Amino acid sequence: MSLASRIEGLGAAVLRSGRSGIRLALIGAASLRGVAERDYPKGEVARQMYIVGNKSVLFIAITMGFLGMVMVIQSGHQLNRVTGDLTQLGPQFLKLFIQEFAPTITALMLATRVGAGIAAEVGSMKVTEQIDALRLSGITPTSYLIAPRLVACLVMGIILTIIAIVVAFTAGGISAWSVFGLNPTAFFDSSMVRAYDVVIGFTKAFSYSLAIPIISGFCGLEARGGSEGVGTATTSAVIGSSFAVLLLDFIISGIGLTVFGGGV
Amino acid sequence: MSDLATVPSNALIEFRDIHKAFGAKRILQGLSMEVGHKEVFFIIGTSGVGKSVTIKHLIGLLRVDEGEIHFDGRRIDSLSETDFYPVRKRIGMVFQHATLFDSMTLRENVALPLRKHQGMGTKEALARADELLERVNMHAFAHSGPATLSDGMKKRAAIARTLAMEPQVVLFDEPTTGLDPVNARRIDRLIRELSDDLGVTSIVVSHDLTSIFSIADRITFIYQGKAYKSGTRQEFEHSDDPIVRQFISGNSHGPMETPGF
Repeated sequence: MSLASRIEGLGAAVLRSGRSGIRLALIGAASLRGVAERDYPKGEVARQMYIVGNKSVLFIAITMGFLGMVMVIQSGHQLNRVTGDLTQLGPQFLKLFIQEFAPTITALMLATRVGAGIAAEVGSMKVTEQIDALRLSGITPTSYLIAPRLVACLVMGIILTIIAIVVAFTAGGISAWSVFGLNPTAFFDSSMVRAYDVVIGFTKAFSYSLAIPIISGFCGLEARGGSEGVGTATTSAVIGSSFAVLLLDFIISGIGLTVFGGGV
Repeated sequence: MSDLATVPSNALIEFRDIHKAFGAKRILQGLSMEVGHKEVFFIIGTSGVGKSVTIKHLIGLLRVDEGEIHFDGRRIDSLSETDFYPVRKRIGMVFQHATLFDSMTLRENVALPLRKHQGMGTKEALARADELLERVNMHAFAHSGPATLSDGMKKRAAIARTLAMEPQVVLFDEPTTGLDPVNARRIDRLIRELSDDLGVTSIVVSHDLTSIFSIADRITFIYQGKAYKSGTRQEFEHSDDPIVRQFISGNSHGPMETPGF
């Protein structure tokens, strides 16, 4: 392959990515407009909240419970080795979970479960021309399909993050008490948590909950061909949403540290 | 090699030198054709030649790379998505796979465009949906979901949904594909009645020769991205063009070039 054709290939890939980025932004904007206009079927938001929330809560609770236990046991062993003082274990654990782990890991799990579901459903509708039929019926697909999922993800993303914090902190506290004999009153101490931690944590949860349905819906709407196209859309939705979560985590944490000095 | 000798003088729809490519694949390469008022107009050709692609341009589901499309004297190929809404009220489409929404009953499916496009209330839209389902003999299944119905029933319900907008033009994408002969002929009869009784212009994409030679007023044969021949069904039946003859006779040997063979 000549240098010229390599450069051409690279240029084409950049152009494709640029066009995809523009389409994603347009779909995001149209979905937000759809939320404002509420042009979706009655009861659809409640149905989506059930799918996003109720069907994910056990999955997230179990994962966060185990994560909480493992993190407390690992950190406790390290602290025992270095200082032998475990009184800061609970407060620091809670601070870290509110600011980072609960929103990010909850969102990564939603990206796999909910993102894949949205892309598969919208993608199937796309390849079977149901999206075209919606457009012919005078309906904007982004308003009708993505907007209710966006509202559901925003509400349930925040609620699931709160549940994740409660479950992980409780599981961590029980582990600290049973493994290290740490007094629960010492562990369940929220004195280290500042408003900054809560704001950053929930800004992340809000941003992730916005990104996941928009990216997944976009992947579904871009599906081409038959079942293979739906499969590709689903995979792209999981990868794209997960990547967006990690990128947003980096950006929001970075802004928090550089602009607000980490809340100190 | 376009033969547009039989084009009606009062064309409702005009495709002028349409070009469309998907990536490196050039589908339409200068297609021009015209459709008259109240015609049952068939677009025929081999699979993948661009028949469905052509009609999707009429309702803005696809955009032309080059060329112009005129509907009722107005250029429509350059309209925005929002500006296409009024056009979509006048041009309906019955998709190849019926595309009814699984989460709704048949009457809800039919009522949807009435509520969205015409702003009808739910009760009024559902009452009108019942009438339309009766028009296509599907009123007994008004409360059923699409999943419980045969392909032929779904097609008829999809036609009722399209008729909800009282369109001037209905596009049918392979309406008889996958249907048994009895149901296929029922759909044919319905298409003919729409034209004769309601004055609807029908553009039908098909390679069902029985349909073509029983209900078509005029036919355009697309070959190599262009309107290779246009004419009445009698003109097609008596055509001595070797490519047209090969298509009509379904002969695997002949001068026709088919991608992949």
